[in-house]
Amino acid sequence: MLSSLFLFFLLQQATPRTIAIDERLAADAHLKIGDRVYLSATPESRSPDTVIIGAILKRSNDPAEVARSEYRIHMHLDDLQSITAYGDRVDRYAVATPNEAATTRALTKINSAAFGFDAHRSKDIAIGTSKTFQVVSRFHKAIGVITIVASAIFLLCIMLLKVEERRRDVAALRLMGISRRTVMRAVVIEAALLALLGSAMGVGVGWIGSQFVNWYYRGVYRTPLAFSLITPSIVTLAVLLSLVLGISAGILASLRLVRTPPLVLFGR
Amino acid sequence: MPFTLAWASLRRHPTRTLLAMLGVAVSAALLLDMVMMSTGMRESFRTLLLSRGFQLRLAPKGTLPFDTDATMLNTREMVRILRANPDFNAVSPVLGGTLHFPRGDRVITASALGLDPAVQGDYELLAGRAPTRPDDIVVNNFLYSSLGARIGDTLRVATGYDPQTREYSGMRKLVLAGRIRFLYGAMHQRGAAMQLQTLQQMSPPEKADASSLMMIRIRDGVPMDSAIQWIKQRISTVNVISIEAALDQVDERLRYFRQLAAMLGSVSLFVGFLLVTTLVTISVNERIGEIAVMRAIGISRAHVVAQIVLEGVAISIIGAFAGLLLGLVTGRYLNSILSSFPGLPEAIDFFLWQPKSAWTALGLLALSGIAAGVYPSFRAASLPIATTLREEAIA
Amino acid sequence: MSVVEARGLARNYSFGKEVVHALAGVSFDVAESDWVAIVGPSGCGKSTLLNLLGAIDRPTRGSVAINGTDVARMDDKQATSFRLRNIGFVFQRFYLMPTLSARENVELPMAEAGVGKSDRASRARELLTYVGLAHRERHRPSELSGGEQQRVAIARALANRPAILLADEPTGELDARTGSEIIGLFDRLNRDGTTLIVVTHDEDLASAARRKIHMRDGTIVDGAER
Repeated sequence: MLSSLFLFFLLQQATPRTIAIDERLAADAHLKIGDRVYLSATPESRSPDTVIIGAILKRSNDPAEVARSEYRIHMHLDDLQSITAYGDRVDRYAVATPNEAATTRALTKINSAAFGFDAHRSKDIAIGTSKTFQVVSRFHKAIGVITIVASAIFLLCIMLLKVEERRRDVAALRLMGISRRTVMRAVVIEAALLALLGSAMGVGVGWIGSQFVNWYYRGVYRTPLAFSLITPSIVTLAVLLSLVLGISAGILASLRLVRTPPLVLFGR
Repeated sequence: MPFTLAWASLRRHPTRTLLAMLGVAVSAALLLDMVMMSTGMRESFRTLLLSRGFQLRLAPKGTLPFDTDATMLNTREMVRILRANPDFNAVSPVLGGTLHFPRGDRVITASALGLDPAVQGDYELLAGRAPTRPDDIVVNNFLYSSLGARIGDTLRVATGYDPQTREYSGMRKLVLAGRIRFLYGAMHQRGAAMQLQTLQQMSPPEKADASSLMMIRIRDGVPMDSAIQWIKQRISTVNVISIEAALDQVDERLRYFRQLAAMLGSVSLFVGFLLVTTLVTISVNERIGEIAVMRAIGISRAHVVAQIVLEGVAISIIGAFAGLLLGLVTGRYLNSILSSFPGLPEAIDFFLWQPKSAWTALGLLALSGIAAGVYPSFRAASLPIATTLREEAIA
Repeated sequence: MSVVEARGLARNYSFGKEVVHALAGVSFDVAESDWVAIVGPSGCGKSTLLNLLGAIDRPTRGSVAINGTDVARMDDKQATSFRLRNIGFVFQRFYLMPTLSARENVELPMAEAGVGKSDRASRARELLTYVGLAHRERHRPSELSGGEQQRVAIARALANRPAILLADEPTGELDARTGSEIIGLFDRLNRDGTTLIVVTHDEDLASAARRKIHMRDGTIVDGAER
């Protein structure tokens, strides 16, 4: 029995352990499951370990990973500790709990019992480590505000032009006895319809653009992460904003028109 | 006369003209910002890299400087080999690490650089003196105020800290010799610098002769490629990175912003063009009769086209100048947002003002102004005079 | 010698398959210092004829010579340049540039012809004085009455000393009193040597002319011979 165990032990020692590599490393280094590779902590190491590729991992949807070009491998904990001479240490523990209440209880217990380290909720860490994306988000919002201002001016200019183009029609209506209110209402309704139509087209163009952006950057960064999302709230905001801008432009433009005497509109 | 007529035509509808110029100004501002952003990062980074004149950098193989915790071993031997090359004016080895400063019941942590103060290219001295003695340490303003210490104070500093056992390793007493500003330091990042050997001695044994980076200053006139080849032939375990290669790597990481700049710049140019062309087209349509009369009394087609094109150009140019000023303001604001990227050197600007950017934006807008007026003007100037006059009379 | 020689002028318009013969072979001469009124019912081809004489339209057939130069075969660039220096136009609706003052409107053709700034300013003033509007030279068209605008238009038409002055219903937009002022101005111009061809429904204007050409259905029925 002892000799069997020893043989078993010898056999175990002789059989390399497995690692999992990410799909980009597999593609770039032309590796597949079953391949043997040498692994060491430094390039100068003279006695690297031999391991077998046991699995290929898909990249996660983690935004923090997007711009990082280094490859990732998963190993057995003791293998990594051994190969890096880290000893019986880890950087962190991840703890799964059944529900929110259990998480709170676990946090309290761990933080009061253990010294030298802290327990955190995962989502709090996510917020803390997503500062890069908060910066990008703020930048996008600033660009968004600038383009909205430009669009508002553009819209007002176009509405002014459109309304002025038909000043003779409006003059004729006013001379016939059509009230200012009716004229304004007609212009504002037209502006609102234009805004709705325009925003529908804009949502369509935005959706196509979003698909393209995701397709392109997923290819560039080799990630399943979605870079652009069009959500119902974004669509609602866009439509409401363009409606408000369009109606405001229509009101301003029509006010100018109805305040001008009809004969002056005719050019007399 | 085309100038007079064009200007008079623009003044005819001042609100419309002003609005159009405002619209062009906002488009121009965004265009200028995008032009600045497309080149700003690269140029800003290049200026930073060259600020101390070091053209080459050596990092552990497969990495960029300070991208990972990897280090290069046998630093002394590497420095000896590199300094033997008469083409290399200076070789500056740097080791990165973390320091812990026990202050009462709290511990202040900071990043650290071990370097040779005589040939360093990482900081500029603000007060006090450089760490010329083995027991000297210099700190940046953020760490200085966190420590609450003064120049001349003795500090207890450790390279290792086990929070579980609350034990320090690599502890040493160092004298605060001066205050510095790190050239590559990120905003709100605590940092310190000391002599390379000091940090190596304080670090675990595997870092006794390690460095994270080496910077090399090459003599003027020496080709970069030959210097890189020389190093690769003698030291095979390092990455040799020229300024251009480093910039290419940064470009690759910040590719998104360049693409965004190109896309937004194109969109804003297009929007500006659309605005001007719409305005000119409607303006021309309103004046078809006048244009036909001008042709009837003998004004040439070329002059009619010139007048209308000038209107478009005037709106674009005036709007563009206003937009340049606005663009500088919005550029500063956008820069302040992007500068808060964690880990980004404070000295990096995303939006770098260069006269070339302004001329590019202005030129593009002037061209779009010309293009905007060309089609409607040619259309108007080519209408049959008699038919147009009759239709206008009926209208 | 005739200032204007029209021979076999015809102008057809196509509307899909239908062809309209606006002018069907018109021939006549106009001598220097002549004043011709072309009259006829609406749609008889009067304005079409005037457009051909003024080289702002091209005939389907026939020729038009102004001071011996055939304008019917000129390309657009040649016709434009010829109009600038040889033909003055007065329209029913004045068609002054609303953004220019009276003086600037008169200067416009001279500027195009390359006349120097001071020369054209003095000529413009001279012409405005001639038409009785020297005191209104800085006013924009919107600040002038209909009659005043038409007088400015006449001054503009005379700017480059044209061989002929063509007027299409010049009193059409004016009341009777103002119309007669314009007729008086035309009379003075003609006495001073200007060759005038006017198209009109205005009986008073037609009567004031030295010669009448009657048109009907695209042809001259009377008055072709001097």
